Amino acid sequence: MIEVSQIQKRYGGSRALDGFSLHVEKGELFGLVGPNGAGKTTLIKILSTLIRADSGSAKIAGFDVAVDPLAVKSVVGYMPDQPGLYQDMRVREFLEFFADAFRIPSQRRSAVVDQGLADSGLAARAESFVEELSFGMKQRLFLAKTLLHSPRVLLLDEPATGLDPLARVDLRDQLKRLNQQGITILLSSHILADLQEICSRVALIAEGKNQQDAAGNSVIELRSADSSLPRLYEVGVLQDGERAAQFAGTFTGVKVMDVEPSRIVVEISGEPAQAAEFLRHLVTGGVQVVRFDRPPATLEQRYREVFGEKPR
Amino acid sequence: MNPMIRKELRQRMRERRGWILPSLYLLALCAIISFVYYEQASETRGMQQGWQFGVELFLTLAYSQLALLLLMAPIFSAGALTIEKEQRTLPGLLTSLLGPVQIWWGKFAASLMFILLLLVIGMPVLSAVFAFGGVGPWEIGIAALTTVVILGTISAISLYWSSTFRRSVHATAVSYVTVVLMTVVTLIIFAIAMSRTHAVGGWHAIPAMVKAPLYLNPLFFLTTALVPKNQLYPEWFECLGAFVAVALLCAGLTLRNLRRSGDVA
Repeated sequence: MIEVSQIQKRYGGSRALDGFSLHVEKGELFGLVGPNGAGKTTLIKILSTLIRADSGSAKIAGFDVAVDPLAVKSVVGYMPDQPGLYQDMRVREFLEFFADAFRIPSQRRSAVVDQGLADSGLAARAESFVEELSFGMKQRLFLAKTLLHSPRVLLLDEPATGLDPLARVDLRDQLKRLNQQGITILLSSHILADLQEICSRVALIAEGKNQQDAAGNSVIELRSADSSLPRLYEVGVLQDGERAAQFAGTFTGVKVMDVEPSRIVVEISGEPAQAAEFLRHLVTGGVQVVRFDRPPATLEQRYREVFGEKPR
Repeated sequence: MNPMIRKELRQRMRERRGWILPSLYLLALCAIISFVYYEQASETRGMQQGWQFGVELFLTLAYSQLALLLLMAPIFSAGALTIEKEQRTLPGLLTSLLGPVQIWWGKFAASLMFILLLLVIGMPVLSAVFAFGGVGPWEIGIAALTTVVILGTISAISLYWSSTFRRSVHATAVSYVTVVLMTVVTLIIFAIAMSRTHAVGGWHAIPAMVKAPLYLNPLFFLTTALVPKNQLYPEWFECLGAFVAVALLCAGLTLRNLRRSGDVA
């Protein structure tokens, strides 16, 4: 659905994007993560047709952003980190204006606006001036505006910036719901816990380039639909991790990844039931297992591995 | 109707200046007509023909009206695009299906409509000259048309500055500088050039290069309109061409800036 290839963008002497590539499948909720100045906002602005890349190509739903920006705009909803709203307009007027700007036919416009008000929970505030809304409501209003023309792709640049915890949870739930409705979402965020919870995959970006983790992946799989892919498991043992590792290696489909005196990490291929079989194999083999779990390979840990411990 | 025009007009009429500026404008016109009437009445003590008084009143009002509107035009248009940058609403417009042409036209038309509103509400005051004779609908019509062209050009220039700068205060200041350049500096340049030219034989003997700055002067343009119908050519048409060319150039440059404004949005 989103295809970015070797994209480059330079501002004066500095390179904002330096050959970054990305592939987002239809219906994915895809995260984009990297330190400040990594090029995330520039990438999203290029995809939303706000700026032009110097070289490389970017396509959304098959439309080239440089060649056919109007077609791209008609399938994309863009939400910047600081959504701009007309403070002196009423909530309904704001949505009506953008419904008009997105060329929604006049006979459907009123229904679309009403739907937007209902979905965003702002129906009761339809006649309020935008300046009277709370920050969270304004964010919901902007999202409602972004969804007016039923986009197939959402480009969200730090949408949770400035939101209080409850509003953040609310936004997260809305994004999950939209994704379940089939909307492809590219989400740039610094809030790794949110990305971890809702994204299926996350791309790493720094200095305008794809970054790779220790395993050489530039895209981290957070939720794989393919159950046959290898999964990591952490096995806590009472003692003699070396012996436990040797024994574990004899089980078909198991690869020992790490060994410590009281802990081993293994990768188990095949169906999830294999993990249960492997655990039975260890216990019947006399290994004193005290813990058997998926290792806490959180996005934050992976992020630290790739980008280091210190802020950039 | 272009959604931008509807939005702009709605927002403008909600602002306090939406009613303050027209009120001040009308008060100023009334003050001018009262001042001129009493000045003329006390000076001439009935020695002047009624039609002569009507012409003098009309000329005073036409130039005063232009001067007032030249002061007001940048207020309506110089902040039109910078406000979108300041409020961070420009990305929303640029990523909608509105093209740069529609955005520009919406801003331009809304600015011009407000100026037209001022012209229309000033008409009853201006029509007071009919009571004295000497001025007909043609004179009023051509003066109004010329004023609209001048103010349309000033709006286009102000919109260009609005697309160039990030802050309204800068765009407005530079727009006023442009108005001063066009109304005062062109006159000074013309005067200096004339002092170095020894042309004899009246207006038509003055070299085109010397006269050139005047074709961008709003007061001169209005003056060329206040002649008998058969004398509009060539001066009025040349001024018209110059003003329209500047307006089109500014519109083109504004559209170019709008297409590039995703970087600052």
